[in-house]
Amino acid sequence: MKAWLRFLPSIIGKAIISETIKKYDIEFNILRAHITPRGGKMLVEISGPEEKESIKFIEEQGIEVNPIIKVVKKDKDKCIDCGACISLCPVKAINMEEDWTVEIDDQICIGCGFCAKSCPTKSIILFE
Amino acid sequence: MKTINEINQKIKDGDAVVVTASEMTEIVAENGPKEAAREVDVVTTGTFGAMCSSGAFLNFGHSDPPIKMARTYLNGVELYSGLAAVDAYIGAAQPNKDPELGLDYGGAHVIEDLIKGEEIELVAEAYGTDCYPLKHVETLITLDKLNQAIMVNPRNCYQNYAVAVNSTDETLYTYMGTLLPNYGNVTYSSAGELSPLINDPYFQTIGFGTKVFLCGAEGYIVGEGTQHSTDVERRHGVPTTSAGTLMLKGDMKKMNPEFLRAATMPKYGPTLYVGVGIPIPVLNEDIAASTGISDEDITCKVVDYGVPRRERPVVKETNYKELKSGKIEINGMEVPTSPLSSLKKARIIAEELKKLIEKSEFLLTSPIYRLPSRGYTLRPLEIRKPSILVRELESKPVIVTHPDENIKEVARKLVENNINHIPVVDEEGILQGIVTSWDIADAVAKGKTSLQDVMTKKVIIAREDEPVEVVARRIDKYDISGLPIVDSDNKVKGIITAEDISRLVGKKMDRGGESI
Repeated sequence: MKAWLRFLPSIIGKAIISETIKKYDIEFNILRAHITPRGGKMLVEISGPEEKESIKFIEEQGIEVNPIIKVVKKDKDKCIDCGACISLCPVKAINMEEDWTVEIDDQICIGCGFCAKSCPTKSIILFE
Repeated sequence: MKTINEINQKIKDGDAVVVTASEMTEIVAENGPKEAAREVDVVTTGTFGAMCSSGAFLNFGHSDPPIKMARTYLNGVELYSGLAAVDAYIGAAQPNKDPELGLDYGGAHVIEDLIKGEEIELVAEAYGTDCYPLKHVETLITLDKLNQAIMVNPRNCYQNYAVAVNSTDETLYTYMGTLLPNYGNVTYSSAGELSPLINDPYFQTIGFGTKVFLCGAEGYIVGEGTQHSTDVERRHGVPTTSAGTLMLKGDMKKMNPEFLRAATMPKYGPTLYVGVGIPIPVLNEDIAASTGISDEDITCKVVDYGVPRRERPVVKETNYKELKSGKIEINGMEVPTSPLSSLKKARIIAEELKKLIEKSEFLLTSPIYRLPSRGYTLRPLEIRKPSILVRELESKPVIVTHPDENIKEVARKLVENNINHIPVVDEEGILQGIVTSWDIADAVAKGKTSLQDVMTKKVIIAREDEPVEVVARRIDKYDISGLPIVDSDNKVKGIITAEDISRLVGKKMDRGGESI
């Protein structure tokens, strides 16, 4: 699952993530991170058989876990399927279908927002 | 072989064979142009691209008492109203006068909202005359209430176009979309084999009076567009760079918002996506062959938009088959490509036009005259007093420092020479970084002693052969006050500051009121 992890400044110094990875059999992928001495947030993808247990552990250590259901969405009425976004996507989450329809794969998207910022018709909605 | 009248008779009888340009490509590949010419009567083309050079003449009707509109705004977007009392031209690329809305709501957006039937705020100001005493009006209008809303687009449907890439290490925001640094992506705008003027490269059938599909309504070609050019390099007859253009006219009141869309190219400005379909009568084998062109046979040039000059360097040649595959190779690397025009909509338009003709609802017209297919080259704008190049600026001897110099010594140099910027160079004079008087003050305040910790390593530079205007834009863009001037080996040759540029502007103004 994808989630925003929020860190309070009090736990910035602790190696919670590495401890979680050692303890549980999970794959932990950091998609975006913004950490400052005053705390921070991190967009991550956690998967594996012990996913649920690992999330519980992270929460117990004082990290707020906010699962996200959607990262990005295309407004079908506004989108003209020009495709200006395609080559800007760093993870190739945007593709042109057979019939030249532009499709965004929410599963692959890391929410960097570069496509949304560059969309000529402002048809890409980013969920923060 | 055939005439337009004969084809029209077939259309009326419901017997005409109509295919899209993509279908024609397959037919010609399979059966050859001779057979295709016998078989097919009309080929439909389509494009749905960003065409800045679009707009409309609007007539608002007279108020009581009447007004001679001198400055006119629709939803805060200024129109050109130097026509007559209540006529104005709205240009798609005009930004909003409100800086908050700026590029996000411009002329194109007003045009789209009008066609959607929305109410638009009209504000007009005037100077007052005996026959037009009113000096100000404020009201709401809709498309229905206007006497005329005639779309007249001075330059649409470019025949081929450059493909854009960016060699610099900064992201660029252009009319070709967002271009990632270091050849990070490629953008292209033409619809390739579906594109109208590519299917009739010598304008054998297209001309003044040709009826077209324009934004869902009937429209007409009213001549060649601005920047029309014909004497260009060709492959398979098709120009390899931007060439022919069209001036189009249509009734906005009959248009369908499905086939027109306002857009904003980020940090560039508003533009209008215009949907155009042009039918090409297959009169002979020659025309069958040219409408049979395939994406693979349409060559185009990948151009470096990192060089903000008229002549941009060509990085390589490619074709639309490669571009549409989603990636091309540049300098041995695979680079993702993005179309800017909607290929999906282009296809829908070609299909739509095909259906209209098949249902006998769209007859072809014989042009009054064909568009010029030779003798047109693009003339550049000559500037009587050409741009001053960076190397021509009077430059004081450059004061430099070295990475291991101590901060106190650097401070002394700044004060003694009454300067604010010092480039940091190695033994060979090659640029390593830059330090400003602010950096030194900051270092002293924070107790830093090493120049290495203080200097900016990623330096924005000026090249000797760049026009000063390009450097002025860079100073503006990065909000900096000075840049080192370097030669092709990155050796520091001087420094150029915002003050140098204002002094230059001042001098130019003194000479005759020009500005750079």
